[in-house]
Amino acid sequence: MLEFDGLRKSYGTNLVLDDVSFAVAPGQMYGFCGANGAGKTTTMRIALGLARADAGQVRWAGRTVDLEVRRRIGYMPEERGLYPKMPAAEQLEYFARLHGMNAAAAKKSAAELLDGMGLGERSKDALEKLSLGNQQRVQLAAALVSNPDVLILDEPFSGLDPTGVDALAGNLAERRSRGVPVLFSSHQLDLVERLCDAVGILAGGKMVASGTVDQLREREADRQLRVVIPGCDGGWARELDFAHVASDRDGEVLLQLDDPSRDQDVLSAAMAAGSVAQFGWRQPTLVEIFREAVAA
Amino acid sequence: MTSSRIVGLIARREIRTRLKDKGFIASSIFIIVLIMGSVVFQVLIQSGASNVSVGVVGGPQKLSSAITEQAAVFGLDASVTEYDDEADARQAVESEEIDAAVIDGESVVVNESLDDSLGAAIFGAVNGLVLAERLADAGVEPDILAPVSLDVSALQPAADEADEKGLVAFISILLLYTLLIFFGQFIAQGVVEEKASRVIEVLLAAVKPWQLLAGKIIGLGVLAFAQLVIIFAAGLGGASAFDVITVPGAAIATVVQVLGWFILGFTLVAALFAVCGALVSRQEDLQSVLLPMTLILVAALVLAITAGQNPTGTLAKVTSFIPVLSTMVMPVRVSTGSVAWWEIALSVVAMLVAIAATVRVGGRVYSGALLGKGGRVKMKDALATERVS
Ligand SMILES: Nc1ncnc2c1ncn2[C@@H]1O[C@H](COP(=O)(O)OP(=O)(O)OP(=O)(O)O)[C@@H](O)[C@H]1O
Ligand SMILES: [Mg+2]
Repeated sequence: MLEFDGLRKSYGTNLVLDDVSFAVAPGQMYGFCGANGAGKTTTMRIALGLARADAGQVRWAGRTVDLEVRRRIGYMPEERGLYPKMPAAEQLEYFARLHGMNAAAAKKSAAELLDGMGLGERSKDALEKLSLGNQQRVQLAAALVSNPDVLILDEPFSGLDPTGVDALAGNLAERRSRGVPVLFSSHQLDLVERLCDAVGILAGGKMVASGTVDQLREREADRQLRVVIPGCDGGWARELDFAHVASDRDGEVLLQLDDPSRDQDVLSAAMAAGSVAQFGWRQPTLVEIFREAVAA
Repeated sequence: MTSSRIVGLIARREIRTRLKDKGFIASSIFIIVLIMGSVVFQVLIQSGASNVSVGVVGGPQKLSSAITEQAAVFGLDASVTEYDDEADARQAVESEEIDAAVIDGESVVVNESLDDSLGAAIFGAVNGLVLAERLADAGVEPDILAPVSLDVSALQPAADEADEKGLVAFISILLLYTLLIFFGQFIAQGVVEEKASRVIEVLLAAVKPWQLLAGKIIGLGVLAFAQLVIIFAAGLGGASAFDVITVPGAAIATVVQVLGWFILGFTLVAALFAVCGALVSRQEDLQSVLLPMTLILVAALVLAITAGQNPTGTLAKVTSFIPVLSTMVMPVRVSTGSVAWWEIALSVVAMLVAIAATVRVGGRVYSGALLGKGGRVKMKDALATERVS
């Protein structure tokens, strides 16, 4: 269990984190969301000892994270950075060894990762000669090369093309299946929704939502019922006194019910109005959950 | 994982990176050539002054040996050739085979002008022989002319050996200064590179700031030391081949001494340069923070040269105990005069204390400043910020 416990941090008078607590279980992929400036990067940097929390602590397997534990964490910082003039492979071997691998294992791991990312042929090129996206892949490789027990990645998907996203997602899924907890931040909520077992949303210095995507959906207050009757105007719905029409367009009607248990009454009314093609509770997207959580 | 392994890994990377860096290699070769050049220059000056050749035609008996003896008094190594014919002797002067020809003990032929010392030697030799002849003619025993031996006791010995030591010390100091500035720059640039490229964030997630600092200093220190040894070996070899100095003994002692001071001085100066480098985040801003450090090194060089002229002065004494300055002043003092063992010990201790303090404070400044974002970090802020462990 990677636990963030009561983190508090302010820069001057700017209170960035105000009692932030959450946990990432082994083998869990945790999406860390929040608006720009919400404090995601600050939280991660505290875990890596790169910033000091005013209060609270981070624990891995019950042990407060110290330098020895940090060597077992793979970290990708928000501001990318590697040695510009050093060849990619050499660079990866160096980081692997700083994280405690022996020379042979480091070499093997670096070569495998670069091959897997389609950069095998460029492994001897200085990093600065690679394209930005490929540099980004090497940066990811630097976080993964030592086979870490924990992964903390700050916006790892930004800047990757769709194949890059798939490759990284595959790699992370494989590590997750080996019991590695993966914490990553992202603004690409569709991706988070697709990949993550759990999601946390940071706003106003607090975790305003945390849990599996399904759990978050259930919490959603304004769930909507969606009814499609092709070619039929939504007039039938406006006549229902227990429902409120949120939208009515081309035969598709979205309704909010005062009492969700009366959904079957809506269905009866719809069937009376015409031939119902689709009927069901609409799944709110993570974007909608996010908007609501952040606005609250 | 042990600290020494981590420091070792960091040092190894520094060495490998530098050895692949064309700029570094080119500058290193430039320095070696520069130092060799200055040694050769010294050789030329010295050998031009001390070796003379003289031709002799006729004149008193024993004139040749008298000239050699007298020349030695003036510190000249004269080789004398006897010519039967005046024309041959003049020819030899003209073709610069010899510096001067003495004709019949009465006149001297030279190409352009007669060197003062050589002139005095020839004059002394001729005069002495003529005088002896006249005294003999007058019935005085020539024994009366037997030279009196003068016992010289020097208050400040400036014998050959001290001169040699002084010369080696001077060249060594120049070398020290050049290498400290050179490697100091490289260290500071390396620090700024890590900060500018933000790789520092990846590094400090896994290693402690002092380990990074120590690895850098040791890595570049090994390179600097190797360079110094190459230069000394080639320099001493060259100098002894040209007879500027007789290598064993004095010179080697000075070199060993300088190497010792170099290790201490390099550690301190490198740490100071690294900390300065950590305060900026762009290479363009580097020179302005390095300026004070560079000026201190220039001051140390000037003080060391001054100490060479007046090794017992108060200035030399005081500065030989101040860290950084002592790196250059102390070797000069030791090589030119006698320094008590406790003075050396005190100076070394002061240096070690300064190194310990710099690495301690430096590690903190280093991590605070390295992780700070953008622009120029003030020393005070760097000390106050962030960072756990
Ligand atoms: N070193 C620092 N000094 C002062 N303020 C800082 C520092 N680092 C972060 N902050 C402030 O802390 C707040 C949170 O920043 P942080 O980078 O953690 O946000 P974030 O959630 O990662 O945002 P983004 O999505 O834009 O990456 C911001 O208001 C930022 O200005
Ligand atoms: Mg961020």
